Amino acid sequence: MTTCYVFDLDGTLTKQELLPLVATTLDLEEEIRVLTRLTISGQIPFRESFRLRFAILKAAPVDLVQKAIANVDLDNTILDFIRARTERCFVITGNLDAWIEPILPRLGCKVFTSTSLREGTHVKDLQYIMHKADKVQALRSKFKRIVAVGDGNNDIPMFEQADIGIAYGGIHPAATGLMQISDYVINESNSLCRLLNTL
Amino acid sequence: MSTVKHAVIAAAGMGTRLGLGAPKCLMELGGIPLIAHLLGNLEKVEDVRVITGFLENEVMETISKIRKDVIFVRNPAYRSTTTLTSYMMGAAHLHSPCLFMDADIYFNPSGFADFINACEKSDEPLLAITRTKTRDAVYVDLDEARRIISFSRDHVTGMEWANLAFLSPGDLQDGPGAVFEQLATRLPIAALEIDSYEIDCPEDVELAMTAYQRINRDY
Repeated sequence: MTTCYVFDLDGTLTKQELLPLVATTLDLEEEIRVLTRLTISGQIPFRESFRLRFAILKAAPVDLVQKAIANVDLDNTILDFIRARTERCFVITGNLDAWIEPILPRLGCKVFTSTSLREGTHVKDLQYIMHKADKVQALRSKFKRIVAVGDGNNDIPMFEQADIGIAYGGIHPAATGLMQISDYVINESNSLCRLLNTL
Repeated sequence: MSTVKHAVIAAAGMGTRLGLGAPKCLMELGGIPLIAHLLGNLEKVEDVRVITGFLENEVMETISKIRKDVIFVRNPAYRSTTTLTSYMMGAAHLHSPCLFMDADIYFNPSGFADFINACEKSDEPLLAITRTKTRDAVYVDLDEARRIISFSRDHVTGMEWANLAFLSPGDLQDGPGAVFEQLATRLPIAALEIDSYEIDCPEDVELAMTAYQRINRDY
């Protein structure tokens, strides 16, 4: 048990971005579009962006958000890789535990998320906003080598702590900043898994 | 008989002598980027790894449009490293033999196919040679069995090293110097003549263009 693999969720394991799905369901497309643009262009850091996202979405009942994303397409090629070594694979996502709850069992491995306090049908407060470097550091005590796969700017801290970083552009090109600190850039899940299998 | 599974393409360099301001592999022959001609020769190779450096985003974007499953291996230190380092990075973690090649070469497709066929007949190292034509040629001397017995930059012969090789990753060790200097310690190595056009300076572009037109008229 020397090597482990950590994966981002949105846009890496999911074949659609989750946030636009939620936005469409809740009729908040314009608000989310502006926020997404500012975040992707790096004008606001993930932490602030996530607080805003929470502020926008917390008015909606949790089950409505869950319903919007429950049936999202996942990349089965990568999931097969994960299922073949569940003890050494981890998903590290900035997304909120309550919102992505229905997807978790489909991923087949341990998932680290941002966490929330729930009150009845709604999320009341943010408890922990994911900082991906923390989780990679925590895995250090158990694994000698850590391979990270992600597509966005919030994966940069995860790549900085990992031994090998793979920028993955499965549904859109990976963020430029992430590419610049990555070891590999890949745009297709078969070749991603081919590489992972040889590492 | 086994199939060639891995191809490693060095595409990180700047092509300074050509003065293009763009990576040489994006230079067009017949309206098609050099790298597209090369990838066409590798359609049957499952695992293609391209080492990128200079203007990597442009290189990746062009290649992804041609073949989506390419694995890009980043060499951010491309200005201070050689092709040998890029080859080592591309073949890192691989254990079976790989095709190694530079991205700034136009290969006659039929010769390239012959080279792959020859590789598939044996797992032994094989080097491609071509009729001497470039200004900075690395000349080769052959023995009677058509094996390379020496490389030289000064001792002019009719054949030069074509920068296409079939080697086990373990055949190369990272370090200073060029790929051929390292191969020189392992001679003799079998060679196969192919028809190829490496592009380093403007005269080479002319030669490659003429060859491209001739080859595509013949087809």
